[in-house]
Amino acid sequence: MVERHIWLSLFCHVVLLIGAAAVCLPLYFAFVAGSLTVGEVQQVPFPLVPGDHFVENTVTAWMEGDFGRLYLNSIIVTVGIVVGKLAVSVIAGFAVTYFRFPFRMTAFWLIFISLMLPVEVRIIPTYEAVADAGGPLRSFFGAIGLTGFLASTTGYQLDAALQWNMINSYGGLILPLIASASATFLFRQFFLTVPDELCEAAKLDGAGPLKFFRDVLLPLSSSNIAALSIILFLYGWNQYLWPLLFTTEKEMYTAMIGLKDLIPVADAQPAWHLAMAASFFVMAPPALVILLMQRWFTRGLVDSSK
Amino acid sequence: MPASSAMRLSEGAATRLRFPLRLKLGSLLSSSETGLKASHFRRPWLAAGLLAPQLLILLFFFFIPTWKALSLAFVQVDPFGATMIFVGLDNFTTLFSSPEYRDSAVLTLWFTTVQCFVTLFVACLFAFATDQVMRGRAIYKGVILLPYAIAPAISGVLWAFLFNPTVGPLAQILDELGYAWDPNRRPSDALLLVSVAAIWKHVCYDYIFLVAAFLAVPASVIEAGAIDGAGPVRRFLTITLPMAAPTIFFLIVMNFVYGLFETFGIIDVITHGGPAGSTNTLVYKVYQDGFRQLDLGSSAAQSVVLMAIAVLFTVLQFRAVERKVNYQV
Amino acid sequence: MASTYMKSVASLLAAGALLMGAAGASAAERVKIEWWYAISGKLGETVQQLISDFNKSQDKYEVVGTFKGNYEETMAAMVAAYRVNQQPAILQSAERGFMTMLKSGAIIPADELMAKQGYKIDWSDFVKPVAGFYIVNGKPAALPFNSSTPILWYNADAFKAAGFDAPADTWQGLEKQLYALKEKKVTDCPMALPGDFQWSLIENYSAINDQPFGTKANGYGGLDTEFVYNRTSVVGQVARLKKWIDDGVLKIAGQGVAPISLYTSGTCASIINSTASHSAVEADAKFKWSAAVMPHEEGVQPKNSTIGGAALWAIKGKPEEVQAGVAAFFNYVAQPDVQEWWSKATGYVPVTNAAYAKMKLEGYFKDHPTREVAIEQLSRGEPTDNSRGFRFGNHNQSTAILLEEMQAVWTGKKAPQEALDSSVKRGNEILRQYEKLHAGK
Repeated sequence: MVERHIWLSLFCHVVLLIGAAAVCLPLYFAFVAGSLTVGEVQQVPFPLVPGDHFVENTVTAWMEGDFGRLYLNSIIVTVGIVVGKLAVSVIAGFAVTYFRFPFRMTAFWLIFISLMLPVEVRIIPTYEAVADAGGPLRSFFGAIGLTGFLASTTGYQLDAALQWNMINSYGGLILPLIASASATFLFRQFFLTVPDELCEAAKLDGAGPLKFFRDVLLPLSSSNIAALSIILFLYGWNQYLWPLLFTTEKEMYTAMIGLKDLIPVADAQPAWHLAMAASFFVMAPPALVILLMQRWFTRGLVDSSK
Repeated sequence: MPASSAMRLSEGAATRLRFPLRLKLGSLLSSSETGLKASHFRRPWLAAGLLAPQLLILLFFFFIPTWKALSLAFVQVDPFGATMIFVGLDNFTTLFSSPEYRDSAVLTLWFTTVQCFVTLFVACLFAFATDQVMRGRAIYKGVILLPYAIAPAISGVLWAFLFNPTVGPLAQILDELGYAWDPNRRPSDALLLVSVAAIWKHVCYDYIFLVAAFLAVPASVIEAGAIDGAGPVRRFLTITLPMAAPTIFFLIVMNFVYGLFETFGIIDVITHGGPAGSTNTLVYKVYQDGFRQLDLGSSAAQSVVLMAIAVLFTVLQFRAVERKVNYQV
Repeated sequence: MASTYMKSVASLLAAGALLMGAAGASAAERVKIEWWYAISGKLGETVQQLISDFNKSQDKYEVVGTFKGNYEETMAAMVAAYRVNQQPAILQSAERGFMTMLKSGAIIPADELMAKQGYKIDWSDFVKPVAGFYIVNGKPAALPFNSSTPILWYNADAFKAAGFDAPADTWQGLEKQLYALKEKKVTDCPMALPGDFQWSLIENYSAINDQPFGTKANGYGGLDTEFVYNRTSVVGQVARLKKWIDDGVLKIAGQGVAPISLYTSGTCASIINSTASHSAVEADAKFKWSAAVMPHEEGVQPKNSTIGGAALWAIKGKPEEVQAGVAAFFNYVAQPDVQEWWSKATGYVPVTNAAYAKMKLEGYFKDHPTREVAIEQLSRGEPTDNSRGFRFGNHNQSTAILLEEMQAVWTGKKAPQEALDSSVKRGNEILRQYEKLHAGK
């Protein structure tokens, strides 16, 4: 056992308490705002103690925004993003670290470069890509003459077959958000720290790459996967600009967009109390995930390092 | 693989994990290609299959849209797509001659760098403290991670509200302390507010990874350090921190990406890039000019510049740190 | 408050149940008309009520309204959607985007649509400032929907406490009053700066004081218009506002706080804001509130102010039966009864003379005198080239620039003249770019 230092321990507690206070302060004020009436919420100076309308405001906001449906959408989209991105990136990370093949570095850079330009910056073309995912294929086949060839020989209309419109679909909400390489990059960094002897031993046992991946690498990565799923869950749940632009039907709204609808804009009544009350049930699932998953995730880490 | 050999392997992993120093050195000596494991497979088609989903998604939802966005840099276009005039490099010359753009570039460099290292430092401090304390660790962790649950738009609203010079409770306190706080009129206040909000939102991200990385340092190594007479701070600086170097590198890159790109939600809510462009970072400008003002040509030209800078910068940084990490660890 | 919410919840549920019930019977035959709008909160609820009333009034069409964010966000969503043929049938677009929409090639002019679908709308019945803005070459391009204008809201209690019965008519008089409010310690915040002050305190200021904002009759005369507001009394106006801000007489609300809520909460004693603030003020202000026409410069015969708000545009590329539905909806919205109900529920001005006359006849304005302030201000004096309205290409962009330059004045980075010169110069570049793209259209 390593020795303890009283002063150091005290210092650490103070640091963490300051940190915790800095985190809680804005949340406390949000709670206060959510517990007031519309008149009280505009008072100056702002009240420092909560009122007693929190439950009432929450119920009103939930009903007004039809959050039952929006919650379901958010869950589907978020789970889709988590599972999709993890699956895609863990195997891609595996491929770039454990395989020697031509253009390995090219593939790596192609993936890595996508960290550089977020969806917000290329939002209109991304929208076009999702609304018309078949477009690039159509122009490609048109350019190489396949479309015309098929139409003249077999009468098959290739252009008509290549119409994929993903507007107002879960796929359209999920796929563009998976198209970034942060997770692949993380797995690559992690795989680089995995001892080479493991792979050697697997090879001596006659295990192929997939078996090695399944039986050795995946179990070793469990804590990374856990950490990453938390991060991706929050990333997915808190998506704002993309679903806002992308969903045109109320049935496809996510909870975040429902909340956005409640945030007052100019010309409207400043119903901040409802927006703030709603912000609590909108941020509840990610907060719960953090609080509940945290234990599991920490235990996983502690176990693996014993 | 029989169960027993799997057992043996994971036991092996456990013992080996305590001595990653030696292993890393070995992998460096025998590997000629960056980032390839010394012990690897040669199945190109399998590798292609494993990469295919990632590359296909990137092709459709990243490369093609990005290509389209960038190709607009050389035209002036009606947003509805009715008219398009090829203008060559006009968009770029206009851009580079604009003082607003230069201001934005300087601001971005400053903001991103400060944000990156302050976030990392604060997260390191918290993670170190968490590593040291025995009591209440889970509670501290849970609370410090909370901002991660909060959408940027919401956290932006909270900070904007708290520090609003007219109604914000914290601004009132500053006022009583004799500081005439006003982010609407003093650019430095606005920048400070945006930075604080951005850091507040992101510390927890670095913190998650650092806590995990520090925990992963084998107890035996720490104990060995203690036997050698190193105190906790010294052990942290000479053992824990270097062993977490790959994580820290990952976090530096991610912090830069965050500072450059993802803070736009916070900026959008707190300042809209104002006052007078004093918090208008390059990415917020691209978004503002392209998506809000619908000046697609100029916005695309800005994207090209941004991408060029980002790629250059990342390649340099990647090379430098990759080497350093390998030699050091 | 609670009962209002219960009511709105109940009506929402009822509307929901109606939709569900209708789904079985006639949804299959009903033609869906997509409408993207940009107002939320109380006003958004009123929009949903309007839609549900229309859907109940007939059984051929079903209007589906979607809130797509503020005006800018809605326009951006529209542009993105139009490029891939996913556009709505109807778009609500602000007056600032008028030229952008008009020359987009993406719209069907309202009169063309109505004539083709066999509806007769009496366009001459639209009130003058509204018609003057939306009618191009004698033909209305869009259906005026929510029209507003900025008026001076004031706290009558606070003004009384400082010894004033009402705000002064002129900026010079108002200045004395606001300073008195501060000196007599009646309030720490005599006036709040509205978020869209470029609309009220610069554009409408120019119109009311008969100052040109741009050449060619503020863009009515052609695309080769140029901004000139750096050479008018706007310079003095900006200097005055800067002085007020420095002296703590005029307060900037900042992000996260709607300027109007500084007024409704009693923090600030006055604000120049849209007449559509009626819904918020009526609901929240707990003091004796009132409104007056905007002030003018001393020695100037005040002209009319200009309209803001938004219009409904019919979007191209939709099947015939959808276009018929759009026309039916436009026709419904233009009815005097609907106009009257909409104006009363929101605070926007009635856009047709018929609706206005009806409200007047009922004595509505006797009970709600502040509702008539906007109308009075819109019809003050004989309109000139400087007060008809603003038709500048990509006016969203030049507005953003103007706002940025004004912030540079507030922060002390630039002097008023310097900032306005820069704003005009940058704005003119945008006008030239627009002209280049749309010449001959």
